[in-house]
Parts: sequence; C-alpha cells; structure tokens
Amino acid sequence: MVKLEFYDPSGGIEVTQPHAPRLDSLAGKRIGIVTNEQWQAFRMLPLLKQLFEKDFPGIEVLPIDAFPQGNALIGDEETARLVKKSGVDAVIIGNAA
Amino acid sequence: MKNAVSGLGLAPDAAMINFPIDMFLPGSDIAPLEQRKHEFYDALTQWKPAFGKSAAGVTPLLSVEGESHEDALDKANYLLIANLWGDGLPLWPATKQRVDRILHGTVLPRDHAIGKFPPRGGITTVETCAIALAMAGGRPEYLPVLIAAVEAFLDPESNAEQLQAASGSAFPVVIVNGPIAKQIRLNSGFGCLGPDPQQPAGASIGRALRLIQQNVGGALPGIGAMANYGGNRNTNLVFAEDEENLPAGWLPHCTDRHGFAQGANSVSLLFANGATNMRRRGAKKETPEEDALQGMHRMADFMRVPNLTSLGGYEKGTPGVLLIPAVVAQTMTRLGWTKKSMREFLWEHSKIPLADLKRNGGPAWIEIDANPLTRESIKHDPWPITFKPDNFVIIVAGGGHPTNSYWLQGYSPRVIGREIRVPETFDRLLTAADRDLGCGSDYCRV
Repeated sequence: MVKLEFYDPSGGIEVTQPHAPRLDSLAGKRIGIVTNEQWQAFRMLPLLKQLFEKDFPGIEVLPIDAFPQGNALIGDEETARLVKKSGVDAVIIGNAA
Repeated sequence: MKNAVSGLGLAPDAAMINFPIDMFLPGSDIAPLEQRKHEFYDALTQWKPAFGKSAAGVTPLLSVEGESHEDALDKANYLLIANLWGDGLPLWPATKQRVDRILHGTVLPRDHAIGKFPPRGGITTVETCAIALAMAGGRPEYLPVLIAAVEAFLDPESNAEQLQAASGSAFPVVIVNGPIAKQIRLNSGFGCLGPDPQQPAGASIGRALRLIQQNVGGALPGIGAMANYGGNRNTNLVFAEDEENLPAGWLPHCTDRHGFAQGANSVSLLFANGATNMRRRGAKKETPEEDALQGMHRMADFMRVPNLTSLGGYEKGTPGVLLIPAVVAQTMTRLGWTKKSMREFLWEHSKIPLADLKRNGGPAWIEIDANPLTRESIKHDPWPITFKPDNFVIIVAGGGHPTNSYWLQGYSPRVIGREIRVPETFDRLLTAADRDLGCGSDYCRV
C-alpha cells in the first residue's frame, strides 16, 4: 500500500469572542431590529414585530427605523453604539440574501 | 453568514432562519414567516453554536492509502473534493515535500501571518500560500508573486470582505510589473489572460489565489460566495504588463498608479466582474488619425453602460482596466496621444445621459451609495461613470496585433499595490525552472 500525507488547506480559525448569551424568556423583554432595508425587509420585519408582540406578554419590539438603516450604516460603530445605548435585550438583523 | 461571524472572531455559526429566495422578491408571499415564527423565538432563547473549537496553530496532515501511487493520488483528490477544497480540476496534494520545496521561494518564515482571509477569517500564513500553490501545480518562483497578491487582497481597503461573498461575481485581477514577470514566465503578450504552456505562471498563481479564497476564506459557491455566475474564477486573471514595449514617455502601471520605482517588482490588485474583447481597429480606408479616434470612441461607447458596477470604487477605485496591445499604444503615441489624454477622452465620452439612467432606475443605486461624493455625482448630466479620468487603468498588454483591445469591468473600491520580495537565492530557482521546463528566454520560445 502507498500512503500519501498532505496538508489540510483550509487554514486555522481563531475564536476570540463568545456569541451573545440567549435570553431565558421573551416575555417582558425589549428587542431591537437592525435592517439593511433590502429584500422586502420593510414588509417582513414589521410582521415579525407584530408576531412577537402578539405571542409574548410585555415584550417591546422597537420599530424598524429605531436604528440607522441600510447596508452602508448597519455595520458601523455608531449604529452599534446606538443599539447598546437603547438598552435592548436582543437584536434581530435582516435581511440577507 | 457563518463565514461572516467567523471573520469577526466568533465561532463559525449563527442563529439564522433561512427561507427560499422567493420570499425576498417584490410582491412575495410572506406568510411563511408566521408559519415558522417559533424558529425566531428559539433563536433568541435556545440556540447554541454547533462549532466550539479553536483551530489555530500547527497545520493538520491528512492521509490516504492506495494500492499504487496513482490510486493514492486519486483518493487524495476525492478526499479534497469531498471536503469542499477542490475546484473541479485535478489537484496536487500538498505533501510536506512539495510544500517545503515551494517555500524556497520566500525568506519569510512559514508561519509568518499575512492576515485573516475574509469572510471566514481563516488564518493565512506563508505556509497557507505554499499549500495552495502546491495544490494548484505551482512552483517556488511563483510564491513571491502569490504572497504579494494575498497581501494586496487582504488590504482592508480592497473591500475583499464584501466582494468575496457578494452576488456580483467579483474576481481578482493581478497585474505584475518588473523583471520578475519574465523571469517566472508570466505572460504579457498573446493570450495573456488564458492558458499558455510556455508561460504558465499566471494560471497557477491565480488558481492558488482562488483556492485560498475558497478554502481559507470560505468563498464556496452558493454557501460562502453568492456570486451568481463566478466567471473567471478558475484561475482569476494574473498577467504582466508588456513593459519592454511601452511607448516612449509611458510609465509602467506600478509607477503610474502606485508610485513604485520603474523596474520594481510589484503586483497591482483590483476586482473586476466582467471581461470582454472590443474590436478597436477600423475596417476600410481610415487614416491613422481616424483609426485611432474611431477606436477610442468605440471603446468609450462600450464603457458607457449603466450597470453601475463602478459605484463601489467611484471616488478612489476604477471603472475598469483597458488592455491595449503595444502596437496600438505605440501608434497612438506617434499620433500625439498620451495615457493621460486617452483617460480624459474615455472619461468624457463614457458619460451616461441622465435620462438614460432614470429610465433604468440607475439613480436609486447612486442615491443609496455610502460615499457622499458618489451620491452627489447624480447632479451631473451626463453622469460620469467614475469620479475622475485618472481612475481608468490603462495597461499595455496583449499580442502584437492591432485589431482588438480588452475591457475588464471594474468592481473595485481601490486598486491595491504591493512590492514583491524575492529571496537572495532566487536565481537558483530560475535555473531550476530552466532545468524542469526548458529554456524560458525569448530566444527559446516557439
């Protein structure tokens, strides 16, 4: 038998920070939405807000324009600062395609 | 998306709810959102990343066994394909011996970190480049060019993070200047954008870069890279400027665009997402002056298209790369044209009437651009396809034939330059290339 050894070409990755912890429940929580305004987000995300608010008592889902919108703005530091300042417990981001 | 979060230093997983593309189109039925609402609820309360390991450090070795070397080679290729590390063409498994040999092409330590390749964030070292070059059938003397190209690719201003994943089918274009191009048999003449057994370097270097994009950067079609078509991605485009035949007074591209010294070995990297031939020469009894002017108009007319790919590089990038053969550049120079006057002509005559843009919805894309200067450009009628004439890249390359020129449609926020560093022992590598491939000088070429 001939044995051939060769390198894994994928390169290592480095995990430097954990994902955000999950919430214990959604009742009474404050949820933010950050949107790029693309791919029917203007229809889908308001519907999502309605669904959350119908199904969980005391939940508050901020409107889709609570934070800067658009591909050019949602990834920048100022948007992150505004999200943190708002005191939301979690954030939903949409839409990618 | 998993690539994107991995690139941010998070475990490569994300709480995503995926729907078929139909729901994201205008007028779509969004009822599936309600049907699957519990997935959203669970994503915020129950989700855990599936991936938990951190894998920096020593590069793992894989192994296969076969009844013969050929059988083992087949099995290695099957394993690479099964792990989504192939490109559909046969690969050389990156054995330790092969990788060690390729590493003779650099003085940098094999663990020298070049950066994290987006969007996945795979750690990219000199060894990573050598492994990809080994798989792509490359040689040690190609490694300095590949390393410089990867450095340019990973420049934060290249916007590779977005272009790697976006649907616009961007592919890197690497233009090489300096004596290294001829030394390593990189084509600048006939067929310089395609395969050439006498000048094979571009195919291997470009293929290696593509393998890094996919295997380290995670740009896997339809998964990490949403490029609809992905044209020119087998080997990307890696070629040289025909510096020996530049007209008098023309600076090489590396000096003109990046300020590198004439004769310096360098790469210039940009992204394009279109490539096409343009018939430039006249067909009847034109005077030389008419032939030149008509050719310039025909090329400018071709650039006057409203598909807006140049928006990302409107201010500091390029609307594209115009390749013209040396015979044309020399004729144009004799007629009084300069590279500068050609750029100004193309800029002026590729402008798009605003009425045409409005008819096809172009202004909406301009109005949502992140760059205020780009947004303000909509005030101009006709609308210039790029901010200034100097953004056009003109390269002397291609065969010695005056009929055709070539247009690489730019999709690039910047044009990034990097100097190429070669080891002191580079001559030995070139001697070995002569031994392995036959004489590579102009006199020996068929």
